[in-house]
Amino acid sequence: MAYRDLREFLDLLESENQLVRIKEEVMPEPDLSAIGRSAPDMENAPAVLVEKIKGYKTPVVLNVHGSWQNHALMLNMPKDTPVKDQFFELEKIWDRYPIKPVWVDKKDAPVKEVVIEDDINLFDVLPLFRINEFDAGFYLSKALIVSKDPNKPDSYEEQNAGTYRIQVKGKDKVGIQPLPFHDIAVHLKHAEEKNEPLPIAICLGNDPVLSFMASTPIEYAQSEYDFAGALKGEPIELTKSENGNLDIPSRSEIVLEGYIMPREREIEGPFGEFPGSYSGARLQPIVKITKITHRQNPIFENLYLGMPWTEIDYLMALNTSLPLYKQLKRDFPEVKAVNAMYTHGIGTIVSTKSRFGGYGKAVAMRLLSTPHGMPYTKIVIIVDEFVDPFNLEQVMWALTTRVRPDKDVFKVPYAPGMPLDPSSEPAGMHTKLIIDATTPVAPDFARDTELLAVPEKAEEWSKTLRDLVKKGGNK
Amino acid sequence: MKCPRCESKKISLLTKAPVDDAWEVYICETCTLSWRNTEGSNVTDPEKYDKRFKLNPAEFKELDQIPPIPELKK
Repeated sequence: MAYRDLREFLDLLESENQLVRIKEEVMPEPDLSAIGRSAPDMENAPAVLVEKIKGYKTPVVLNVHGSWQNHALMLNMPKDTPVKDQFFELEKIWDRYPIKPVWVDKKDAPVKEVVIEDDINLFDVLPLFRINEFDAGFYLSKALIVSKDPNKPDSYEEQNAGTYRIQVKGKDKVGIQPLPFHDIAVHLKHAEEKNEPLPIAICLGNDPVLSFMASTPIEYAQSEYDFAGALKGEPIELTKSENGNLDIPSRSEIVLEGYIMPREREIEGPFGEFPGSYSGARLQPIVKITKITHRQNPIFENLYLGMPWTEIDYLMALNTSLPLYKQLKRDFPEVKAVNAMYTHGIGTIVSTKSRFGGYGKAVAMRLLSTPHGMPYTKIVIIVDEFVDPFNLEQVMWALTTRVRPDKDVFKVPYAPGMPLDPSSEPAGMHTKLIIDATTPVAPDFARDTELLAVPEKAEEWSKTLRDLVKKGGNK
Repeated sequence: MKCPRCESKKISLLTKAPVDDAWEVYICETCTLSWRNTEGSNVTDPEKYDKRFKLNPAEFKELDQIPPIPELKK
């Protein structure tokens, strides 16, 4: 793999012209969130390394995952790789699971180069800033949080590494949001039943593949680390936390260690969330930070999230699509690809060949009964197998030339929904919309249509033209 | 000083800037809102804080607990 950690990935991005540096001093507000908002709006959006922030010692990097070019480089592919090809590469390397990690001695782990135990002040290490105007405070939005089931302290597989929002509430105190369906909530429940603190490690500035896997809905007993190894084709390096016997990435930039205080809740939020609106204030758990370890000259990584598309939409795009694809493909082998990257799959497009009339509608209903599709997906579009679901121009072609609104559009009223979708009413219920934009096959029928074919040698010329653009036009 | 969001007077200095005393961050001990004194008055001034986001501490105990606290097991 071309990189082993965040800083090596930043070097790779810079060598590919996918990273820019801001050397002039900026203010924490409003500059950092404005940079995080502006970067992903650009063509070929780069990561942005902000070197000097007023009042702070540490630089911050934003938008590391925030373009298809950076996403391709994360997957070790050329940066101009089309999204559909990235999807199929991900499918291929996904099947290498599991590649087990290797453990590095604490004394050799870069993340232990500096250990802070006394007078902890998160602001001394982290250049914290407000992400959206009415957030309740300064948030960590891209942390990988490690916890274990206190009833199975030796189970490596049931250890969890997930991303949950973190509100800074003091020099050594933060709030955390474990939603009841998140894996960490199972660990917390077991700890709280015994009135015991739950040790956690909040890891910041991680290998980009680790951030990607921490945002992927995998099964409870599957390991994010073993998947990250599979995607990289080589083991992730782990080490042990100072307390709590947790396995943490040895090459993270910064790790905050501490514990969730049992049976306590305190007001948290609002926070601007991925559907492009604020979630409300609720009573949520509190974390006491007891130790900070970090590399020499650490880099803080955080994520701006706002009205889509922003960095988070790239971080939960193909990793939402792939598990749905695998679940559909098992029963409907004609399914070609799944694009579930609109607002975490609330909008999903599936391409499939139709085995018989009405097949597209059956595929849609199966999608709506998968574990993720059931609550999340509200709008399903089914297209023919020759339509690229990642190419919205092609999808619009299918909608405009294939859909018979009287036969191909229907609703499933009052089904499970996603509460963070503001149109879910009441929160947690959705009426599903299904649009079957496939070409009718027998016993269904349609007027005869003959598709226009692609000219001979088009693929060859397509490659030639791309190469010429890369060379700057061949003047 | 009052909290811009819930107007509580229980405000404490969370931290000063690690470099050059460039700014101060305050936190409301009632609603946990934190803000930096260099932010705009839309965030720091109780008079100008958007009414849609104001909070009433009397209602906090009715907020949902996420996740709910389970029964103790003996």
